[in-house]
Amino acid sequence: MKKECIAMLLAGGQGSRLYVLTKHMAKPAIPFGGKYRIIDFPLSNCVNSGIDTVGVLTQYRPLELNSYIGNGQSWDLDRISGGVHILPPYVREGSAGTWYKGTANAIYQNMDFIEQYNPEYVLILSGDHVYKMDYSEMLDAHKKQEAACTISVLEVPREEASRFGIMNVNEEDLIYEFEEKPKAPKSNLASMGIYIFTWSKLREYLIADEANARSKNDFGADVIPAMLGAGERMLAFRFSGYWKDVGTIESLWDANMDMLSRNTLNLLDQSWPIYARSPTRPPHYTGNEAIIHHSIITQGCEIEGTVENSVLFHSVTVETGAEVRYSILMPGVTVEAGAVVEYAIVAEGSRIGAGARVGAPPGDTAPEDWGVAVVGGGAVKPGRVIPPKVMVDRKGKEVVR
Amino acid sequence: MNDMHGILFAYSAGSRLQQLVEHRTTSSLPFAGRYRLIDFMLSNMVNSGIPDIGVIMHENYQSLLDHLGSGKDWDLSRKHGGLKLLPPFAYTGNGRQGGYRGKLEALSGVYSYLEKIRQEYVVLANGDMAVNLPLEKVLKAHLDHCADITAVCTRRTRGTPAESTYFSLLPDGRITDTACGHYQEGSFESLDVYILSKSLLLNLVDYCSGHNQYSFEQDVMQRMRESLLLYGYEWDGYAARFQCIADYYTKSMELLDPRIRQELFCRDRNIRTRDYSNPSTYYGPDSSCQNSLISDGCLIEGRAENSILFRSVVIEPGATVTNCVLMQGTRVQSGAVMKYVIADKRVTVHSGRVLIGHETYPLAISKGSVI
Repeated sequence: MKKECIAMLLAGGQGSRLYVLTKHMAKPAIPFGGKYRIIDFPLSNCVNSGIDTVGVLTQYRPLELNSYIGNGQSWDLDRISGGVHILPPYVREGSAGTWYKGTANAIYQNMDFIEQYNPEYVLILSGDHVYKMDYSEMLDAHKKQEAACTISVLEVPREEASRFGIMNVNEEDLIYEFEEKPKAPKSNLASMGIYIFTWSKLREYLIADEANARSKNDFGADVIPAMLGAGERMLAFRFSGYWKDVGTIESLWDANMDMLSRNTLNLLDQSWPIYARSPTRPPHYTGNEAIIHHSIITQGCEIEGTVENSVLFHSVTVETGAEVRYSILMPGVTVEAGAVVEYAIVAEGSRIGAGARVGAPPGDTAPEDWGVAVVGGGAVKPGRVIPPKVMVDRKGKEVVR
Repeated sequence: MNDMHGILFAYSAGSRLQQLVEHRTTSSLPFAGRYRLIDFMLSNMVNSGIPDIGVIMHENYQSLLDHLGSGKDWDLSRKHGGLKLLPPFAYTGNGRQGGYRGKLEALSGVYSYLEKIRQEYVVLANGDMAVNLPLEKVLKAHLDHCADITAVCTRRTRGTPAESTYFSLLPDGRITDTACGHYQEGSFESLDVYILSKSLLLNLVDYCSGHNQYSFEQDVMQRMRESLLLYGYEWDGYAARFQCIADYYTKSMELLDPRIRQELFCRDRNIRTRDYSNPSTYYGPDSSCQNSLISDGCLIEGRAENSILFRSVVIEPGATVTNCVLMQGTRVQSGAVMKYVIADKRVTVHSGRVLIGHETYPLAISKGSVI
């Protein structure tokens, strides 16, 4: 069946800068914001934008992601025609078919999937970003400008521009130059890694790119520059809302804290709901001694201690006298009596033993030694001290950043 | 697979629940912050491996239809079997004006559905009880006793005697007598859960409708006690039924006791309900919240104590909610004070209003009211 626009979601990222958190799952499966995983944001944006066909390209540790997405029911993506499809790399006759070599190669290898729907346009997304965005507005702009490619851009502070891929545009917002992490940026329009291509054009360039032995088969490094070089109409679409790449421990922690302040990313706003798959647990319980301020608490939690400026996923227990501040506790974490968790990310199922200390406020440590502490799962023995910036894996062993 | 079929009776509305059942049957009464009463028995059936469940309803069932949908949230949306909704007049001419008088009449209304049951045994249960009951164990006891009918009963009193059925049991569990609306020392209160074979069920429904008999308790359990082998299955766990507003309030407050929650929501027998994908609950910088059960999607900036808050409740800064049950979408504006109040869905309490009921007579506010 023909679809005007389908989405391809690149979800194969290893997320190596998240260290212990991505040891057992791909980056898009990382829990975020009390109820969600990162991939819920692009998936929900698709559904809310009227896109009902999404290919999810997986590669690294796909188990968690595959079982999470299932048949797509949680996002209303269980459709008779279209819906969500997991697309892992596969082997073809002869020696064809390999691991996905790069982002462009991942799409190239799934051209047959795209052709089934005979789309006019293809939206390329990544599973690394937290944001609410109406892709249909971007598609309207793309159609109006009759562009070959539209790239969503965000205005970033000038001094940070050299960390991003920067688009230099004319007065019509048509791109004439793309610079990856420029030393002297000419503009402050950073690429958000969200592309709409006219499919017939992209198809041409993907085939050419695959034939080029020197190409890294990457959108940003190869395909976009090739299209610019050939003089294609390339549009920059300005996005003004909240957008965050959560590829590092610090940015993941920051994004959760941003959400707490609610004026940046308001998840209670139901006009653009983010959907998630979550188990049914009873409502959370706050005990007689509980003190909860400026925090997000999810179903199934039992809070007897103190929780401040923190994000608690489902089924977290905070025992009497335990203190949790500026931290992110993923599903099923237990903080035993008297333990203190501050400025930390604690992965699913961890148990922080009685009297243990994880992380510390920035003021108590020299700035170069301070950072968010991470517990990757498993048990932290009672009384153990995990200093700021330190990460421990499921076996309790320290992992070097 | 244990070869049981489930029939849920969801046709009655306890009239003493007053405004709480104005727009719904007791089975779809919201309870425990995010559930409807029918979720408990429905989940018990699913957790006991029952694949096919029929829900008999009669009137005021829009809220129930809306809640159950295709049954997918209970894993009951199936090509064959799964959840079947059985409204009146579902089968020609068998509807009855003014509601069903009893379970047998309700069953005879869906006789052709009963004939098509694929399983050998049938569980009959009411949809308006909060319990976490392992029905597969009841079936095992039923088979061990070679019983004709096994009835689940308890020693823990649950409701008003006048509205309950009591069994007298021999030490081996055999039921010797059934008393309706009359409690005798040492008798067991019925949980209105029965297991019997499909063939016996069809015979009973046939016989009784031919004799204008409609009450399962009186016309089968009582009248046929000599001819049938009736056994009781004693359940000593938690079970709550809801006959009046005060009942509803007391049972809600019992949930603040961790032992009761443990019994009702034990992890390996999860109670399922409709999924709304609400975000987590947000607590503001000056919020305070003690001894309360709080659902997802709430925004708490004021004070809550000893209360049950359903999904998407808003408590604005400076508002105080104590000993209350606030259903989905209740909005308490700044400075308002509420004590011993049950607010039905989407009630708005404006700034500065003071609403105070009493523990023995909680103030119940109808759905959608603005105060």
